[in-house]
Amino acid sequence: MKKLMLTTALALVSSAAAQADTVVVVTSFPQDLTNPFKVAFEEAHPEHTLEVVSRNTNASVAYLQETRGSNTTDLFWASAPDAFEVLKSEGLLANVDISVDGIPDDVGGYPINDPDGYYYGFAASGYGIMYNTRYVAANNLPVAREWDDLIRAEYNGHVAMSSPSRSGTTHLTVETLLQGDGWEEGWAKWKWIAGNMNTVTERSFGVPDAVNSGSTGFGIVIDFFGLASNASGFPVELVYPSLTAIVPANIGIVENAPNAQGAKDFVEFVLSPEGQRVLLNPAIMRLPVNPEVYAEVPEGFPNPFSEDFAPGAIAFDVDTSGARYNLVNSLFDVMITYRLNDLRAAVAAIQAAEAVHADSENAEALALIAEARELVEALPITEEESLDPAFAGVFQISRVSADIAVVGRQAEVEQAWDGFTVANYAKAKELADRAVAMR
Amino acid sequence: MSDMPQPASGAGRFTLFPRLSGVAITGILIAIFLMAFLVLPVVQVIYVAFLDARTGAMTLQNFRDFFNTSLFRESFVNSFYVSAMSVVFATIIALPLAYITTRFNFAGTAIIQSLGFIPLIMPPFVGAVAMSLLFGRNGSVNLLLDQYFGFKVPFMEGLNGVIFVQSIHYFPFILINLSASLRNIDRSMEEAAQNLGSSGMRMFRRIVFPLAMPGYLAGAALVFIKVFDDLGTPLLLNVNTMLAPQAYLRITGVGINDPMGYVISFILVAFSIFALWASFLFMRGKDYATVQKGGGGLSKRDLAPREKLIAWAVILFILALVLAPHFGLMLLAFGTIWSFSPLPDAFTLQHFGTVFTQSSQYIWNTVLYAGSAAIIDVILGVAIAYIVLRTGLIGRKWLDYMATAALAVPGVVLGIGYLRMFHGVQLPFGLGQMSSFWGLIIVALAVRRLPYALRACMAALQQVALSLEEAAESLGANKSSTVRRIVVPLMTGGILAGFVTSFATAAVELSATIMLVGRASDAPLAYGIYLYMQSPAGRGAGAALGILAVVIVALGTYLSQRIIEKDRNRRAAAPGAEQ
Amino acid sequence: MKKAGIRIEDLHLSFGDTTVLAGIDMEIYPGEFFAFLGPSGSGKSTLLRAIAGFGPRPKGRILIDGKDIADLPPWKRNVGMVFQSYALWPHMTVRQNVAFGLEERRMPRAQIGPKVEAALDLVGLLHLAERMPSQLSGGQQQRVALARTVAIEPQVLLLDEPLSNLDAALRVQMRRELLSLQRKLGLTTIFVTHDQEEANTTSDRMAVLDGGVIQQIGTPQELYDTPVNGFVAGFLGTANILAGHMNEGCFVTKGGNRLAVDNYRGTASRIVLRPQSVSLADEERGSIAGKVTHREFLGSQIRYLVGTEDGEIIVDTLHHAGQSGHAVGADVMLMIDSRSASLLD
Repeated sequence: MKKLMLTTALALVSSAAAQADTVVVVTSFPQDLTNPFKVAFEEAHPEHTLEVVSRNTNASVAYLQETRGSNTTDLFWASAPDAFEVLKSEGLLANVDISVDGIPDDVGGYPINDPDGYYYGFAASGYGIMYNTRYVAANNLPVAREWDDLIRAEYNGHVAMSSPSRSGTTHLTVETLLQGDGWEEGWAKWKWIAGNMNTVTERSFGVPDAVNSGSTGFGIVIDFFGLASNASGFPVELVYPSLTAIVPANIGIVENAPNAQGAKDFVEFVLSPEGQRVLLNPAIMRLPVNPEVYAEVPEGFPNPFSEDFAPGAIAFDVDTSGARYNLVNSLFDVMITYRLNDLRAAVAAIQAAEAVHADSENAEALALIAEARELVEALPITEEESLDPAFAGVFQISRVSADIAVVGRQAEVEQAWDGFTVANYAKAKELADRAVAMR
Repeated sequence: MSDMPQPASGAGRFTLFPRLSGVAITGILIAIFLMAFLVLPVVQVIYVAFLDARTGAMTLQNFRDFFNTSLFRESFVNSFYVSAMSVVFATIIALPLAYITTRFNFAGTAIIQSLGFIPLIMPPFVGAVAMSLLFGRNGSVNLLLDQYFGFKVPFMEGLNGVIFVQSIHYFPFILINLSASLRNIDRSMEEAAQNLGSSGMRMFRRIVFPLAMPGYLAGAALVFIKVFDDLGTPLLLNVNTMLAPQAYLRITGVGINDPMGYVISFILVAFSIFALWASFLFMRGKDYATVQKGGGGLSKRDLAPREKLIAWAVILFILALVLAPHFGLMLLAFGTIWSFSPLPDAFTLQHFGTVFTQSSQYIWNTVLYAGSAAIIDVILGVAIAYIVLRTGLIGRKWLDYMATAALAVPGVVLGIGYLRMFHGVQLPFGLGQMSSFWGLIIVALAVRRLPYALRACMAALQQVALSLEEAAESLGANKSSTVRRIVVPLMTGGILAGFVTSFATAAVELSATIMLVGRASDAPLAYGIYLYMQSPAGRGAGAALGILAVVIVALGTYLSQRIIEKDRNRRAAAPGAEQ
Repeated sequence: MKKAGIRIEDLHLSFGDTTVLAGIDMEIYPGEFFAFLGPSGSGKSTLLRAIAGFGPRPKGRILIDGKDIADLPPWKRNVGMVFQSYALWPHMTVRQNVAFGLEERRMPRAQIGPKVEAALDLVGLLHLAERMPSQLSGGQQQRVALARTVAIEPQVLLLDEPLSNLDAALRVQMRRELLSLQRKLGLTTIFVTHDQEEANTTSDRMAVLDGGVIQQIGTPQELYDTPVNGFVAGFLGTANILAGHMNEGCFVTKGGNRLAVDNYRGTASRIVLRPQSVSLADEERGSIAGKVTHREFLGSQIRYLVGTEDGEIIVDTLHHAGQSGHAVGADVMLMIDSRSASLLD
């Protein structure tokens, strides 16, 4: 047995040595995206072989951190800009000069490439609402086009999204609304939308999966999920609300890459018109960052460089987002993910009360409803607190610096928030129920 | 087991460097293996639970926080509730199947005994996907119900959904153990009760079931622990207020370094070990099956035509339910688009084409990993069984306890422990990081499945009469050649059974391997299915891969079963081989 | 309690091609201690189990106290059975085991207690009521099984080789206890055994079975003294069976020896001679010459095998202290007391 393993191992070593020109890329992208690029790249550069290591974003970051001493990875390839920021700040990315001809500086207000040149955007993604046409028809629902639409009572039980703590892209959506509408308005909007949800999924792909199979009607997703599902033949459509953030998906060369030339070749290939066209593959469907490619896209394909695309797009503040990254995730989970049932009950009760008193002048009932709404919208911390390093440090044990006095332990803080939230939701439901009884 | 010779510790002759026997050396090597690949990695993970996250000092504060947090208390209660209810429902499924097949002359027995094993050889998360399509809010069943009767049943909502999927996936543990127990009950036990005026359900409740209790309990404890520790199903059904998902979310969360994840891991391991220990305690001295002399198993009787009809109806209903995931998977694998409709829009072979052209490496990897792991398991299983049952090695029972404790370790915890422990380790010969070397996947699988193989080997060795070994020794064979030429050949059936169980369940394992797969070309089937299932176009291909996994494992199981049958027949012809 | 009789009429049973019971007819009188005796495979256990209601339903009728019970399930028959393995339930205490049947009859709790204690007292095990079966010796387990069965006051008590799992000394003691218990309760009892001594010592009457057929029914003595066929003769005790024919009031063996018999039967072709009715005699008094081929010392007796013209004949002679008897190879003369011998067709 041992002998066998040893021989196999030796065989592996020798075969690895024979293919010295392997470009190793660590990525969070699915095979549907990586395979077409691998094929196209190896065709354009027969001297290179692309070796794909699939891990989710967090695991990829951890992997690169842990293996820095004996790095075997040439490239990191993923969506979330935050992950690249972390790697860049730790000196794990190489600053390589890449020719990026024909690619503009920003898309929808978001810079495409890292200004310092550590990583490059290769595809743009916006956030949208994906819906199942059969589901919508069967339930006689109008198509929701704006975030505000999803708040309406008629969508109760028809919406899904994933938790921002599980998916970097969802985090960006949540943060976009918080920045676009303001801290309190933004959270209120998320809570009312969440009140209509039937599920908060634990995987970002769980949302398109649920919409594709028709188990839910509407999903809040990053656009390519919707576009790719549509292209794969599912009866789904994607709409961009006017408030959205366009963020690039990125690629960066790892510091100390074993095959630096191969890595550079791959980045340049991905950014070339030839590579950009691969993005239009029906299974990928991401928005190219090279405007030149849009000349040949099919009818109806969204163009983030056009005037009428997402007119309300905001300039996304990466610093604000980064400062409270974990706090926002944790707050979302405590108020929404883990307490979805309580929230749904409260929201359903308020919606019922509002339906009963839609045209009534019953001041007492309306006051109860208003109070209930306030309770649902109440937040345990203010925006100032959210940006206070003492608070943010609670969630960033490893990165907090010694001179910041942290206010408590995460479990302690979360328990306080949880108590606050559960009590408010219960009270809101009670008030709304009382209002319903006053018909 | 209770009448084994006591360890020879009373001898009292103490030497600094005792001359070690072969048995002792083997025992020590196994102990080192288990320490290195089970105990220490797990300790690596759970000791964080005792550290202050900021200062690194030892503290129990994290446990106080755990019990002060209402979410965690609720998660604990939910996990307990889901596990207990899964045991109840798994029992409801397994009991009629076990009873009908052991108690009556029933044509469907062979089908049930083989099909009953099938749910185990499907990755649980794949089952959950298929079940959602059939039983989900807008799954086939609910769409049809809604269309014809105007109502829906929330099969898959919240905790109920988890219970539903888990009981269908894990009931074979109860079926297998309970059937074995029922077969071992002396028929006179039942006849005596009838003779004294008892019959039907009352007799089953008072006599038959209590006598089958040890087997039932062994199966039920397994189901309980498996459900308690399982991560994939709750995650896929988006249930997060349970302990395993909470631990996973907190350990793998974006940039978060929350000690609560480790506290929960510790509690998962501790509680599972407690459950195992409690079931051992309860079963001690209750191994009734071997108490009786003479007589065969339960007497089988023929069913009256009406009873036969009822039996078939019950069995077909249950089989339809437990095979639903496979049915759903088939539809997914052969279907084109399946969305908000009872059946896919059309059927195609294209997904299988995709799988065969792109993913054959998954199949070979799986056969290599699961096969090697199962071989390691039966080797360790035979060695540990022999040491525990036939030698007086000091501390030999701890080998058994350690190996069995692997049952109580969630796959995620083991995976994380391996990453922690072996990350910095560079392997020679340019194999690179130990934590990303595919060999570690084999070790992880072997450790995770060792308890199954060990139990099978233990049972097999207990059936080999001691006198057969003594005969060999009196004719001049030494220990090692006795084991090699007498014991192992006589254990063939049990060893193969252990191999099959380890192989089949290792082939669909994901929870530990997902942490350890270094690159796609090293990935096994379950990981490949998981990858496919992450993209809209990959769902059909993932399902096709899932079908292949089931077919491969089922084939392997069938072949081994044939060999076991043959071996059993051969032995039946040679009296004296069994006690 | 009224004593119940059992009538079995034309009972047939086969498993596939194998006939297990072939037309059994018999009557067991109320209060009788009756034995089924036969070698293994003779159908005796199957017959007993058929009375208890186990196994496939045989063709024919089984009447207890005049009522046909053949179609009743076991739990409605009120027939108590003690199993060869005792079948004590290991998960229940002695008391729970004994109380089981009463509980199944929905007897009020207040009555169950005294009945259980009475039954345990009957077998002398009241002090072990709280033990688990695994903590009892074989003999004690046997008594518990008995107590458990008589506690329900069955119409008929069936004992399936109840003594076979006990050692020799205990077996003798238990069979006496069984008998005295049966006499005390007056229960109609059927006892299945393959051991003729057990059957002889306990039963009022017995049936010898072979090949699913009753060979003979009668008191032990009748069966021993006047077996109706070679099987019964050979199965009950040791028998020399010599072939020959009748001639003028005598049985003439193949070897030409004439044996005088009282009960003349013209068609007889065999004669049954018990070893104790053959003796070794002087030259002039003996009638058959032979040579000792084998000798066994049995304590009170010495058994010789003597080779003669009629084959080997077994001879039992009383042993007296100090006498050495005949050695192997010695020429002897046999004297036969054939007056009371049975003749077979």
